[in-house]
Amino acid sequence: MKVLVLGATGYIGAHLMKALKQLSWAEPTGASRARANVQTSDVDWLSLDTRDYAALTAGLKGFDAVVNCVAGDRASIAHGAFSLTEAAMAAGCSRIVHLSSMAVYGAAEGLIKEDSPLQQPAGWYGAAKREAERHMRGFAERGGEVVVLRPGCVFGPGSELWVGRTGRWLKAGRLGDLGEAGDGWSNLVHVDDICQAAIAALRLPIAPGELPIFNLAAPDSPRWNDYFVDLALAIGATPVRRIGMPKLRIDSLLCGPPLKLAELCLRYFGKRNTHLPEPIPPGLVQLWSQQIQLDVGQATQKLGIAWTSYAHALQCSAAWFSESGKPDKPAIGKAICTP
Amino acid sequence: MIEQAANIQNGACLRSDVCIVGAGPAGIALALDLSSRGISVLLLESGQIDSEVLTQSLYEGEVADERMHSPPDKYRQRRFGGSSAIWGGRCMPMDPIDFESRDYVPHSGWPISYDDLLPYYPAANMLAEAGRFSYDADEAFGAAAAPMIRGFTSEHVRTTGLERFSCPTNFGTRYRKRLQLSPQVTVLLGANCVGLKFDADGQSIRAVEAATLKGIRFTVMSRITVLASGGLETARLLLASSDVMPAGIGNHNDVVGRYYMCHIAGNVGELSVFGSTSQVQHNYEVAPEGIYCRRRLSITAREQRRRGLANSVARLHFPRITDPSHRNGVLSGLFLARKFISYEYGKRLNDGKPPTFETYARHLLNIAGDPLDTSAFLTHWFAKRTLSDRKFPSVILRNRTNRFSLEMHGEQAPLATSRVTLSKQVDMLGMPKLRVDWRYSQSDIESLRGTLDLIAQEVESAGVGRFEYQRETLEEDLTRFGAYGGHHIGTARMGHDERSSVVNADCQVHSVSNLYIAGSAVFPTSSQANPTLTLIALSLRLGDKLARQLDVRKKTTQEEVAV
Repeated sequence: MKVLVLGATGYIGAHLMKALKQLSWAEPTGASRARANVQTSDVDWLSLDTRDYAALTAGLKGFDAVVNCVAGDRASIAHGAFSLTEAAMAAGCSRIVHLSSMAVYGAAEGLIKEDSPLQQPAGWYGAAKREAERHMRGFAERGGEVVVLRPGCVFGPGSELWVGRTGRWLKAGRLGDLGEAGDGWSNLVHVDDICQAAIAALRLPIAPGELPIFNLAAPDSPRWNDYFVDLALAIGATPVRRIGMPKLRIDSLLCGPPLKLAELCLRYFGKRNTHLPEPIPPGLVQLWSQQIQLDVGQATQKLGIAWTSYAHALQCSAAWFSESGKPDKPAIGKAICTP
Repeated sequence: MIEQAANIQNGACLRSDVCIVGAGPAGIALALDLSSRGISVLLLESGQIDSEVLTQSLYEGEVADERMHSPPDKYRQRRFGGSSAIWGGRCMPMDPIDFESRDYVPHSGWPISYDDLLPYYPAANMLAEAGRFSYDADEAFGAAAAPMIRGFTSEHVRTTGLERFSCPTNFGTRYRKRLQLSPQVTVLLGANCVGLKFDADGQSIRAVEAATLKGIRFTVMSRITVLASGGLETARLLLASSDVMPAGIGNHNDVVGRYYMCHIAGNVGELSVFGSTSQVQHNYEVAPEGIYCRRRLSITAREQRRRGLANSVARLHFPRITDPSHRNGVLSGLFLARKFISYEYGKRLNDGKPPTFETYARHLLNIAGDPLDTSAFLTHWFAKRTLSDRKFPSVILRNRTNRFSLEMHGEQAPLATSRVTLSKQVDMLGMPKLRVDWRYSQSDIESLRGTLDLIAQEVESAGVGRFEYQRETLEEDLTRFGAYGGHHIGTARMGHDERSSVVNADCQVHSVSNLYIAGSAVFPTSSQANPTLTLIALSLRLGDKLARQLDVRKKTTQEEVAV
């Protein structure tokens, strides 16, 4: 099966490329906007901007399936998904595996199955992901095959978002045990499990008119407080601080904007690797208290995922954090302000 | 979900798998546990989210001797979250010896062992937000950490025992959202349990009767009812439900309300440690997970058995606050500010004797003469307690002299004559009020005397210091403030024998198939430990038991249908 992976230089995309390379039945090609980032030479690559319909159509020709791991700003996610569905239709690429997000559930709380009603997401990210899903649905309605994956928070070694940045906040004493403010379910899921799901989704039998959707989160993923304390203990960010909602809000809402502004100014002058504290996005503060728990029965049953245990995922993530010392702070774009 | 009982229709009958009476730590822990297993729970709570004067007044009652026990509406909170709204947060498990039957402690012995409860302690610790279940200093801090008293080793006196501190967590605010979101839980606020009604056979509870302050009455019919309303209120409910059983439920043998225990506590003597002040670790330490911990002195189980001592602990403490001879500005400041401190926390600042003008003057002089320490203390208190999300647990003074009093916290032996009964007065819902007659025995005092003597002997023979106390005033020192407030234990004790206990090893009321009790009322003995952590662990154990029972019943029903 010839598979094109869009967003192949991203965290999930890069892992997926590696996983696909191990399979005898898959011939993966990676695609991304910035070909220059790719350091491995043993894989096929295409330089593609998913918002460029013509280039995408040409690029998709001859592929049996495409996995959409594109991150980025609203246009890349939403408009990119539209271009992708149109291009796939035109190029005759019949199957799309689309990486969506639990952000489409908006502020919903409780145990959430895939057929739970989608609420209006508060942030731009959730709205963009919802719009992207709408385009995918349109593709399915026009006879295409789509599998939508809705992961929680994807982590593991190398996860800048949920390990690197979180670890630095813990080390700085800006994050810790948050009490009620961290009582939400983390819905953490190891990046390898996302790869498992995407690979299974490539060969999932789909009945005509069906649009399979799968929540992805490790069934044993803990609440945020537990993750923060566990990670802090594992990376030596001790003693763990107790930080309540008021202090978290002060950090996020009062200190966040000036820090963000300073970061943007420095970036404007070409300084990407600054030593400024990283702002805590208000969307994250909201997420940590949101008691949404993804029901992953469907993914377990139909995609047959052998979930990576939380303990193991935590251990390798912490080892990565500690080995990498103080990981350089890469420029965090909008795409990762909220999951 | 969380709803108001005021919105229930008068005369309505509600149903659930389990009805829990009381949303304190025991009730909330049980509700969270059962609901996570898919069991429907109706949680009746008399109070509201915040304290209300009228509801709190339902706790009013009588005490036989005010010097010996606080009025029943003190140290208890009739509100969502229960008394966790005002607790100090001290957590520690009981010791294995607490569960043993000891011939030198009459009526001792639990029908379960420490090992039966151990599996539930770690989760209880998590719910109480006291970190890992690690109560040994060497384990929690590593053997390289500074010991309590450098150079002090003893075969009989342990110094590595720890107590850990909750935030202190108010279970109401901390777990409100979880309960609100759970599709299995309905919390009814403003719902007062006013009686338990038997089935015709007198073997099981048919309904819980509930009422609001505005007069709405309704019933709850559940497969299982759990009383989780605290050590005093549980006895009151059992005794007051006397329509079928005149003596009250579970009280055929006149055990309900008896064996009422608190703890024997007080500051005693003076421990002088030789050498520099850096030899002594008397302050709180912070565990890696951010939990305040403190070391205590205790007697090994073997030595307790050998000397016939009840269980107890001792902490390195400061002198009696009310006596200005301590010449400490911080303590004098606390004394002068006592009117601004809540009854529960200010109690030990009033020792019954009205202060004279001279006392006030000497306290003022202490403050004036100690401005640096006083301001350092205030700054620390403001930063680490007032502004902090995890509160610094208590007043700790800088160790300037290596001299400490020992703050004792001891088990009291169960006494049938120490009891709560119903008074002739009723509250505004028509429920008889409680009358508390707490008593202790001379053996409790002598046991602490033996403990103190052993500590003195061991400290001296190790050559690290000297401990002395006034033997003739020991009883007065230990009972000056009466029973240690807030620890209401033993009024519906657990046991195998119906003649001397109220509930069995599963916390089920003897001879009532579907009535259970959660909370410290079931403790047969009081241990050295503050009761909260153990009562949460017992709730989680009860959750396990009830889940098994309900599951078995469900299966039986399905089989019957299949046939």
